[in-house]
Amino acid sequence: MTNRHLSSLHEICTKRHASTIQRTIIGVLCSGLMACSPESENQRSPALNQVYPAQPGGTMISAMPSDPASMIGMVAGESASLAIGSYLFNSLLKYNQDLDLAGELAESWQVSDNKKTITFKLKPGLQWADGKPLTSADILFTWQLITDEKTHSPYASDYQLVTKAEAPDAHTFIVHYSQPFAPALESWASLQVLPKHKLAGQDVHTTSFAQKPLGSHYYQLKEWRHGEYIKLEKNPKSVLGPAYIDHLIERIIPDPAAQFLELMADNIDSMNLDPITYARIIPSRPTLQAKLNQYKELGNSYTYLGFNLKRKPFDDVRVRKAINYAIDKQEIIDGVYLGLGITIASPYKPGTRWSNPHLTPYPFDPAKARQLLAEAGYTDTNGDGIVERNGKPLSFEMLTNLGNKQREKTAVIIQRRLKEVGIETRIRTLEWASLLTNFIKPSNFDAVVMGWGLGLDPDQYSIWHSSQQGPGQFNFIGYNNPAVDKLLEQGRLEFNPQQRMQIYHDFAKVLYDDSPLVYLSAGYGLTAIHKRVQGIMNPVPPAGVSYDSQKWYMPEPLRRTQIQAE
Amino acid sequence: MLNYLIRRILWMIPMLIGISLISFLIMHLAPGDITSTEAAFDPKSSEESRQKLRELYHLDKPIIVQYGLWLERIVHLDFGHSFASHQKPVFWAETDKEGNTTPGMIQEALPITLMMNMVGLLLTLTLAVPLGVIAAKKYGRWPDRSITLFNFIGFSIPGFWLSLLLMYWLGVIHPWFPISGLHSLNYAQLDGWQKAYDLLMHLCLPVVIPALTGLAGVTMFVKNGMLDVLSQDFVTTARAKGLSDRAVTYRHALRNALLPLITLVGLSLPGLIGGSVIAETIFAIPGMGKLFYDAVMMRDFPVVMGILTIGSALTLMGNLLADLAYAWADPRLRRGIMPQR
Repeated sequence: MTNRHLSSLHEICTKRHASTIQRTIIGVLCSGLMACSPESENQRSPALNQVYPAQPGGTMISAMPSDPASMIGMVAGESASLAIGSYLFNSLLKYNQDLDLAGELAESWQVSDNKKTITFKLKPGLQWADGKPLTSADILFTWQLITDEKTHSPYASDYQLVTKAEAPDAHTFIVHYSQPFAPALESWASLQVLPKHKLAGQDVHTTSFAQKPLGSHYYQLKEWRHGEYIKLEKNPKSVLGPAYIDHLIERIIPDPAAQFLELMADNIDSMNLDPITYARIIPSRPTLQAKLNQYKELGNSYTYLGFNLKRKPFDDVRVRKAINYAIDKQEIIDGVYLGLGITIASPYKPGTRWSNPHLTPYPFDPAKARQLLAEAGYTDTNGDGIVERNGKPLSFEMLTNLGNKQREKTAVIIQRRLKEVGIETRIRTLEWASLLTNFIKPSNFDAVVMGWGLGLDPDQYSIWHSSQQGPGQFNFIGYNNPAVDKLLEQGRLEFNPQQRMQIYHDFAKVLYDDSPLVYLSAGYGLTAIHKRVQGIMNPVPPAGVSYDSQKWYMPEPLRRTQIQAE
Repeated sequence: MLNYLIRRILWMIPMLIGISLISFLIMHLAPGDITSTEAAFDPKSSEESRQKLRELYHLDKPIIVQYGLWLERIVHLDFGHSFASHQKPVFWAETDKEGNTTPGMIQEALPITLMMNMVGLLLTLTLAVPLGVIAAKKYGRWPDRSITLFNFIGFSIPGFWLSLLLMYWLGVIHPWFPISGLHSLNYAQLDGWQKAYDLLMHLCLPVVIPALTGLAGVTMFVKNGMLDVLSQDFVTTARAKGLSDRAVTYRHALRNALLPLITLVGLSLPGLIGGSVIAETIFAIPGMGKLFYDAVMMRDFPVVMGILTIGSALTLMGNLLADLAYAWADPRLRRGIMPQR
C-alpha cells in the first residue's frame, strides 16, 4: 500500500458499507444453516494454527471492489490504481512501520541549510524488471511527466513547486524550491517512479503502458482481465530483494456479501470487513474462526460534524462548543461502529508524533451544553422544547452523502442528542456529486456530516488556511483564524520534525478551543486474512497490517493446489 | 412490405438524433461532472488541475456546443474515450503504433451481457410457454393452482436475496458452482472444451436465477393470452369442425396467444444489452449494467452516451424486428389488410 494510498485524505467508504442488508441476510443464513455446513475445513487443514518457517512460493488471492482505471496511479488519481501501482513501482522514500520517513530507492537524502534544496542519493545497482538500470534520469523523467503541461495529474500541485530538478549523475537527484516546503519529503514518498525507456515520447493518457506496465518493485503484472482479476508475479530483480509469495491475485468483486461468500468458500485469502462481520458474524462461526485471523488497525480517516462558520448561529463559538458537549461520541462509536472506533481530539492519528497528547475529546455534558447555549442567549421561552434567541428557534439542517449508512446513522444519533438540549435539526442525504456541486462548493449548507483523512504528513493547509475558501477548495466550512494561518504557514517551512511537531500541536490546540467542527469518531480498519498466510506482523504496527507484506509467506502444506490457484 | 421496411429504417435516423439530444441534455442537467467524484475530493488535488481536466474534456463549453462536438464524432462512428477509465475507447478496440491493442469498453462488456441475457431469455421462454399453456388448459385445477403458486413466489422473492441464498447453498455449503466471476483463475491454461465448460459453470447461477425470477411474469402473460384465445369463436369453430384438441391448442390457439409475447420479447431487447446492475454486481460480472451504472455515478459522459446510443439503436431495431415477426405471425398484417402500426 503506498503512502499516498495510506494518506489519501478523503474517506471513501460509500461502497464498502452499501449492502448492510445483504450482510445481515448472510449472517442470518449463516446461523440458520450452520447445522448443515460441513466441518471439512478443519479436517482438511488441521495444521492451520501451526507456525511454519518462512519459505518462498504460493499464491495469495485477495478481493478489491473495483477495477483500477490504469496502472499509472499518479495520472488516474484513484485509490485502486494507486494500490496496484504500489506493488509495481517504487518511490524515493517510504514510511517505516512507525510512520517515520525512510529511504526506498534513496539511500540517503539531505536538506540544504537554506531548506530550499533536497539532494537524494540512490541505492546502488537499482534496475527495472526487464534488467535495464534504474537511475536518477528515471526519477527526473517521472517528475517532468507529472508536471508537464499536457499531463492531467490531480496530484501535480506539490511537484509544481519544484523550480528546478536535476540529475547530475546516475545516482543523484536534486530538487530546488523557491522557498522551504516541508511537505516536500512526503510528496517524494508518494511519487511512483516510472521507467523513462518505456514511456519517453508517449502520451501518458493513452499509452498502452497503463495496461502493460513495467516496474521495479516486488511484483510485476502478469495478466489483467478487466473487471475480473489482476495477476501479479514476483519480480526476481526487485530492487529491495525478493518477496516470499510467488503470485498475488486481486479479484474484482464489487459486492461485499459476495466477497464474504468467496472468503467462506476458501476462494480468497483476505478481504476488508465491516463492523458487523468483524464483531458478530465471524466470532459466531467456529469454522470461520478456525481458518481466519482478524486484524484491527486504526483507520486513516475520521468522521466529523462541520459547521458553515459564515452562517448564524455557527459564528458563535459558544454555540459550536455547546453542540460539541451535547453529542455523545462514544454512543456513536458503539451504535454505528459496534465499538470498533475511537474518539479523537485533533485531526491526527492518535499515537503518532503529530497528535497532541494533551488534548482530550470534549466529554458528553448536556448540562454544560445548555449552560453555553444560555450564555449565547438561547433559552426556551415558549416551552416547545426548542431554544430561541430573539424569537428565532435554534434549528439547522445536516447534510450527508447518500449510500454511506454509517454517516446517516451518525446523523440520526446527533439529531436525537441535540433535541435533548433544545436544538432542532433536519437530516438531508444527497447523492455525492449533487452534494458537492450544489451545496459544498457554493458553501450552501448549515452543517455537514462528512469525513477527512488522518494524514501521515501533518500539513493541512488546504483544509484550514483562510486562503483556501474559494469554490472547489477544501476550506468549505469557511474557517478563518489568523493564528491558525500563521501556524500552518510556519509548519510548511519547518523541516525539523521536533519543531514541526510543536507547531502542529499548537495548531491542534487552537482548533480544539475554537471547535469549528465536532470530531465524531475514527473507525478501525478491519481485515480478515486466512491463516494459511503467515509472517504477518502482530500486533499490527502503526503503518497498518499490510506493512512489509513482502515478508508474508505461505507454508507449502497450507497452500491451495497449483491448479486451483493458478 | 419493402416500402414499409425502408420507411421504418429511415425514420430511425431522426429518432436516434432526438433520443441522443434528450439523453445528452438530461445527463448534463444532473449536478457535477467527472471532477466531482468522491475520489477527486482529495485535498492533495488542486482546483487548477480539476479545471484543466474540464477544459480537456470541453466540459467548460455550453452544453449545445458539447452536443455538437459529440454528434460530429458520432457521424464518423467515433464514440470517443472514457473520462474515467484511463481514456479507454468507449466502443471499439484501438491499436497504437507499437501494435498494442486497448480493448473498447462496450466491446468487452456487451458480449458477456448479451450472452447471459439471451440464454436467460431463451430459458425463460422455453419454460414459460409450456407452463402458461398447461395452466390455461387446466384452468382452476391443481396444475394451474401449483403454477399460480409458483408464480406468486416468483413475484415476491427479491432477486438479490435468492442469489445470495443459492450462492451460499450451491457455492459454499455444496461447492458445485463458482460463486462469482466469469472465468476461473486458470482459464488461460484450459483447452477449448474446458474453457466452454468453465464458462458454462460460471454462468449457471447468474443466468438461472434472473431467469427464474423473470419466469413468473411471462408464464402469467402466456396463460392469460391462452385463456383469452381459447374462449374466442374461432376456437369453438375449430373444435366444432372436429379438430383434435392438440391441433386446436397448438396450431390455432397458441399461435394467436403468442402474438402479444412477440411484442414483449421485442420490448425486452434493450434489456438484453442493458444488463442488470444488481445481478452483475452480486456475481461480479463485468457486464453492461455495471458499466453503465459506474459511468453514471462517475459522470463519465462518453461512456453513458455510447451505451445510450447503442441501446437506443438496438431498441429501435428490436421494435422493427418485433413488427416483422408480427407480420410473419399474422398474415393479415402481411397482406396489408390491417392498418400498419
